[in-house]
Amino acid sequence: MHIHQSKTLNGYHVVFLVQNVMIGSALLSLPNLLSPVGYSQWWFPIMFGAFANLLLIPMIWIARQNHELTLFGIHQKLFGKWVGTCINTAIIVYAIILLASVCEGYLELIQVVALSDRTITGPLFIFFLLLIYIANNGIKSIARFCIASFFLVTWLLYFLTWGFTEGDIGHTLPLFNFTREEFLAATQKGFISVVGFEVILFYFPYIIQQEKAFRHASYGIWICILCYLSTTLVSVMYYSQWQLENVMYPVLYLFNAVKLSFLERIDVLAITLWVFFILTTTAAYLWVAKKGVDSIRGMEKKSHLYIIALIIYLMISLPLPKEFQKELYERIYYVTYGLMIWPIFLCVVQFVKNKKEGIQ
Amino acid sequence: MGIGGGDEVGNETQNVLIDEVQRQLEGIDDAIYKKVIVSGEMVSILYLSSLVDHLRFHETVIIPLFNGHEDLTQVWEEARPANLHTFLTLITAGYTILFFHERNHYLKVNTYSPPTGAIEESDTESTIAGPRNSFTEAMQTNISLIKRRIHNSGLKSDEYRIGSETNTKATVLYMEHLVNKNNLEKIVQRLHSIRTTGINDINELSQLMEESQFSPFPQFHNTERPDSVVTSLLDGRIIILLDNSQTALICPSSFFEFFTSPEDQYSRWPTATLLRCIRFFGFFLTIMLTPFYISALSHHPEMLPFEVLINLQESRSRVPFPPVIEVLFMEIVIEVLREAGSRMPTKIGQTIGIVGGIVIGTAAVEAGLVSNTLIVLVAISALLSFLPPSFVMSNTSRIIRYIFILSAGLFGLYGQMIAFAWLIYHLISLKSIGTPYMAPVIPRKWTDLLDGIFRAPLTLSQHRKGISGEVENRTLPTDGEE
Repeated sequence: MHIHQSKTLNGYHVVFLVQNVMIGSALLSLPNLLSPVGYSQWWFPIMFGAFANLLLIPMIWIARQNHELTLFGIHQKLFGKWVGTCINTAIIVYAIILLASVCEGYLELIQVVALSDRTITGPLFIFFLLLIYIANNGIKSIARFCIASFFLVTWLLYFLTWGFTEGDIGHTLPLFNFTREEFLAATQKGFISVVGFEVILFYFPYIIQQEKAFRHASYGIWICILCYLSTTLVSVMYYSQWQLENVMYPVLYLFNAVKLSFLERIDVLAITLWVFFILTTTAAYLWVAKKGVDSIRGMEKKSHLYIIALIIYLMISLPLPKEFQKELYERIYYVTYGLMIWPIFLCVVQFVKNKKEGIQ
Repeated sequence: MGIGGGDEVGNETQNVLIDEVQRQLEGIDDAIYKKVIVSGEMVSILYLSSLVDHLRFHETVIIPLFNGHEDLTQVWEEARPANLHTFLTLITAGYTILFFHERNHYLKVNTYSPPTGAIEESDTESTIAGPRNSFTEAMQTNISLIKRRIHNSGLKSDEYRIGSETNTKATVLYMEHLVNKNNLEKIVQRLHSIRTTGINDINELSQLMEESQFSPFPQFHNTERPDSVVTSLLDGRIIILLDNSQTALICPSSFFEFFTSPEDQYSRWPTATLLRCIRFFGFFLTIMLTPFYISALSHHPEMLPFEVLINLQESRSRVPFPPVIEVLFMEIVIEVLREAGSRMPTKIGQTIGIVGGIVIGTAAVEAGLVSNTLIVLVAISALLSFLPPSFVMSNTSRIIRYIFILSAGLFGLYGQMIAFAWLIYHLISLKSIGTPYMAPVIPRKWTDLLDGIFRAPLTLSQHRKGISGEVENRTLPTDGEE
């Protein structure tokens, strides 16, 4: 799909888009996801950051080779119309399921922590109204919202200082106290937390300084990793190994360590304020899905957005079997890992194609 | 006296025209139609006496006419094209039309002398330090108040007419070498696209020109103070003045400007910064305070420490309503008090305040209708809502509060955060003639941040603001200087 609009995203838009789409609800459970490696987990975010940065290289390369095309367009260009459309449809389905999983995960958490006497129908409805409103205005508005969200939510990190002062720095050593299986299990579960930077493949054509996109995206990744690192570090210091394994949302309970004379249960405030991060993540994926449908149908229509939103809304609110849903949502993360490696394959195809064209 | 050579051929047609004008003016009791003989030549004089001051008429028309100037066309303008519509428009705008029968010549003299009110201190934007002049309802006075402060030939003013029936005069002022030409084009385009029969005040014009009609936020700032206008002009912004309107419109404007007062510029920087912070964060506090009371009591009592919760519940023990109804009741009572007070003469208004304060405050608590904690919160949030120097923004903050109250009532803190996310997103996507409404947080220039919520010392914040957008030539022209 060719981009008809002018380029709109500045450097700092890219930084915060990358960072905000990455931080979703996974951060809240990250220390629990990494619990197979126990106390050694605190430096894992750094490793994930390095991985993510490496995976970014092929993404940026393939995007720069086709600097006017989104990933949907690249597929159609490299594989022809039919195969391209099939892959694009798969990506749209993936985006829809991922969105549903993020929304449902967050809203269930809201129900447990903040609105225990209510069903999720009402909160879900207003969430979707706002989501459509945000995704409707395009990627630049989403990027601006990302910047605002970052400054409105990250101050919550300050509350970690209570956990930090009460914790034991001795927990951070030794660094490599795990087996190979434990390492793989933790990586497999925890790498979910860095999902989101691959969305750059879809908004790359809108970036003004494309030659600096790699640097800006890397800044985004490392800001996100810094947030992760601070939470895993404080969690390791504050919790026992057993707690790390058995408390599902350790970061939320970390907020309970905060002692203020006028406010208790900071976790309620934190989880409700977290809606900013969930909104940015979901709005970006909703925009991706909308662009996908636009590219398949060959026309830009607002109705595409409404239809996709309706499908996701129904997916969450219809009484599907819980086991099926859980299975689906867990599997979708493997697709995500696939999508992260996918650009390497695309690079090979592009390379071969470039060579062929060179010979001709 | 001598007049430029007349055209004898069209004499009869011209006479028909003056007769037609006279016929059209029938039924207007202040329309004056006089025929006088000057140096043996018949001259018809037409004007509306209600728009023309007798003294001025005498000085500008009678004395030159009878004292026999060499060539009156050098003193007065020729009225061309000489058609019915032009004449009627001129006469209703306060001009005097003179028809020299023999020479067959029409001349027009601007004799418009509107009643000018005295230049007084501003009621709505009063300050302790700084100039006290404010605009009046006469546009000429307002323009002269601005031009008195900027002695530069770069200050341009274009005239437009708005309203198909009223033909109200609007003037667009800008500094030619600083203004963003795109913005100017957009303003002109919008002024031309306004379809209305008549317009009374600049606030109407502002609403007709806005991009997002459904937004609760005002997208143009208006001011009664010439000094604010001058500051805006020097930022490269465009000012619109409307005849018979006491305020000037500043385009483009940003959200933060609604929280700044001209006085900030005249105070020391720490004072200015403190006051700006109080006003700005006060806005967010006023929309969050009572909704938080609802959230905490109806959905998340666990958030409050035990002692605070007991205290609150004790104060609410006799109140039969849920918190959301209690808050809505109190907020609406405050609105009613404010509205009743603002429509009354000052002396009765004070009584309303006392009745409201004592009866509603004390008696409502004793009657068990509301808790006394809520009275304190509502009073604080009402006070906070009056902090923005802009009256329009203060109204907006009250409207928005209802959205927050209802969402807090429905979904507690989650509802409040969703409403907050809506507010933030709405603000960052809003535009004022193509400029982000959230400038300088969405910076056009990084130096803008030195004069945003925080005001740096004046020597550091002398950079021209980027809000009006990019202009290449930023140097002042040397003409007009000694």
